Amino acid sequence: MRILIVEDEALIAEGVRQALLGAGFAADAVGDADAARAALQAESFDAAVIDIGLPRESGLQLVRSLRLHRQGLPVLILTARDAVTDRVTALDLGADDYLTKPFHVTELVARCRALVRRAHHVSSSIMELGDLRLEAASRHAFARERPLDLTLREWSILECLVLNAGRLVGKDRLMSAVSDWSDEVSPNAIEVYVSRLRAKLGDAVRIRTVRGLGYSIDAHGR
Amino acid sequence: MHTAGETPSIRRRLLALLLIPTALIAAAATYSAYRTSLAPIEGAYDAELLDTALAVASNLEAHDRTAPTLELTPDAVRLLRSDAHDNIYYRVSGSDGHFMAGDHDLAVPHQGVGNPEFSQATYRGEPIRVVSYRASAASGGAIVTVAETLHKRQSARRHVLRSSLTVDAAQLATALAVIWFGVRFAIAPLRDVERQLAGRWPRQLTPIGTEGAPIEIRSLIDALNHLFRSLQEAQLAERSFLENAAHQLRTPLAGMLTHLELLASGHSQVDLARARAALEGAKRLARTTQQLLALARSDAAARAGGDFQTLSLPAVIEACAESRLPAADSAGIDLGAQVEPAEVRGQRWMLEEALGNLVDNAIAATPAGRSVTLRCGRERDCTFLEVSDAGVGIPPAERERVFERFYRASNSRAAGSGLGLAIVSEVARVHGAALSVDAGERGEGTRVRMSFPQT
Repeated sequence: MRILIVEDEALIAEGVRQALLGAGFAADAVGDADAARAALQAESFDAAVIDIGLPRESGLQLVRSLRLHRQGLPVLILTARDAVTDRVTALDLGADDYLTKPFHVTELVARCRALVRRAHHVSSSIMELGDLRLEAASRHAFARERPLDLTLREWSILECLVLNAGRLVGKDRLMSAVSDWSDEVSPNAIEVYVSRLRAKLGDAVRIRTVRGLGYSIDAHGR
Repeated sequence: MHTAGETPSIRRRLLALLLIPTALIAAAATYSAYRTSLAPIEGAYDAELLDTALAVASNLEAHDRTAPTLELTPDAVRLLRSDAHDNIYYRVSGSDGHFMAGDHDLAVPHQGVGNPEFSQATYRGEPIRVVSYRASAASGGAIVTVAETLHKRQSARRHVLRSSLTVDAAQLATALAVIWFGVRFAIAPLRDVERQLAGRWPRQLTPIGTEGAPIEIRSLIDALNHLFRSLQEAQLAERSFLENAAHQLRTPLAGMLTHLELLASGHSQVDLARARAALEGAKRLARTTQQLLALARSDAAARAGGDFQTLSLPAVIEACAESRLPAADSAGIDLGAQVEPAEVRGQRWMLEEALGNLVDNAIAATPAGRSVTLRCGRERDCTFLEVSDAGVGIPPAERERVFERFYRASNSRAAGSGLGLAIVSEVARVHGAALSVDAGERGEGTRVRMSFPQT
């Protein structure tokens, strides 16, 4: 998986590139919007990390022009300004996620992984998280290549969690993911489904309970 | 309108400038009218007095060699002295001044050039008007002096005075009323501007409208608007300075952190400890920078009167909990929440920053295996947002001081800048929320609560 870094600060660009390389990504860094467009035309990338404060043409303008040309490339925006409007504008313009500087590089890597995973889910309907693999078309799940026997609702909950891996997924969101027209699911039922999922997943991934709020899945099976 | 003791007032000035001259002019007019209408009356009475003198003189009889003689019958004398209001006195003297008839103690005024001659005198303790007439040489040159007391003259004078005072007082009162209301009406546009200004929220710096404002206060309004504009520009400049400072500080920090994190996760045992120490330092620097910027921004936002929105507190808690999950995880702390639907008017980044600081403090103060809980909801007449931990707690004596900038509780274990709670305090202030610190429900650890007024 290849990621394009668009950042004029060499210190950050190189650090992020090293971190992504270390996490098993391929990564290239360019310093401005024109170079980014040239790189995107010449090569294929799975995601881009774009700094808002680029020289000449801002990162926001770059994102807008990418979206205008119907490039569905997942984009993570970096910003050193914390004006909420910047973030809102970024997301409105079609960025998929943002991080505020200074950030933890591990978080940046995790966000990139999630971006790529979601993009893959849309295109190939296969998602991977640690030792877990979900195939959306057939609704099959594999933990360390061992097929899991999941009910439809368990599968829906797992899919929702994996799509938002590393994030907090509220109970109400899981409820709406598994409820259909005929049947409302109670919060208690969600707890039951999650505990069954945990039993079936073993230590391939970890579903963490965030007391009073919901759940969060991550790859660090322990 | 409130007028303080020595405060200059345009209304008072206008009233003073208009009322005092008007009153003086009215008084002068009254006096002059009084004098003018008095002259013909005095003239008429004088003429009548002179008639009496002439009538007496006509009774003089001249003789060739001797002094003239006067023949007055008692009836004539009675007629002469009869008057409804005044006493009439007379004296006829020879040309050499010797007494011929009448009241012999009535003084003959000194003869001037005029004939007849009028004068004032006092007779038997009363003021009198005197006319002195020198009869022609044909009549022997006798001097006829007639005098009367002033009763009817004084009564006429009083009458004239009373009527002119009445008319002029009515005129003056009308003028005063017109001026009074005129001034009120004239300064009404000032009140409009006052109302416009009073109706503003504290940081509103939009220009005042000049529509309908009189020319006289246009320049005042222009000057105010100029001031507003400069303030607004200063605010914008400050904001852009902060944005730039944020960028300039965070960018190198981000680069440094990235590299240090890479180093610290590397495998060269020699450098690992050093890299981790440097990373710790960089993280603290990053945190302090973030907090200082947040503090400066909330200062600026407070002064700019931020645009508040209706915010859902559960959403704020969710966002904050999500961002602090990794930290809670690695500290072995059970981070959780109890949320009830609750909304406040506010700025989202500020509340997230405040709550984040509270959670960071709670995580730092709580031993592994214990819990940190975020709560929101409504209680009685307020909406609250709180964080409670099962940590070391804050000594009661220090609970007020912990909100001061750079203050650190005496028993705090973790490294910190002492800015986190100052930010919380600033955010609370901007949102009109009350802050309270106590030991939580079970009396252990710390509970910090922001209580927002019910909207």
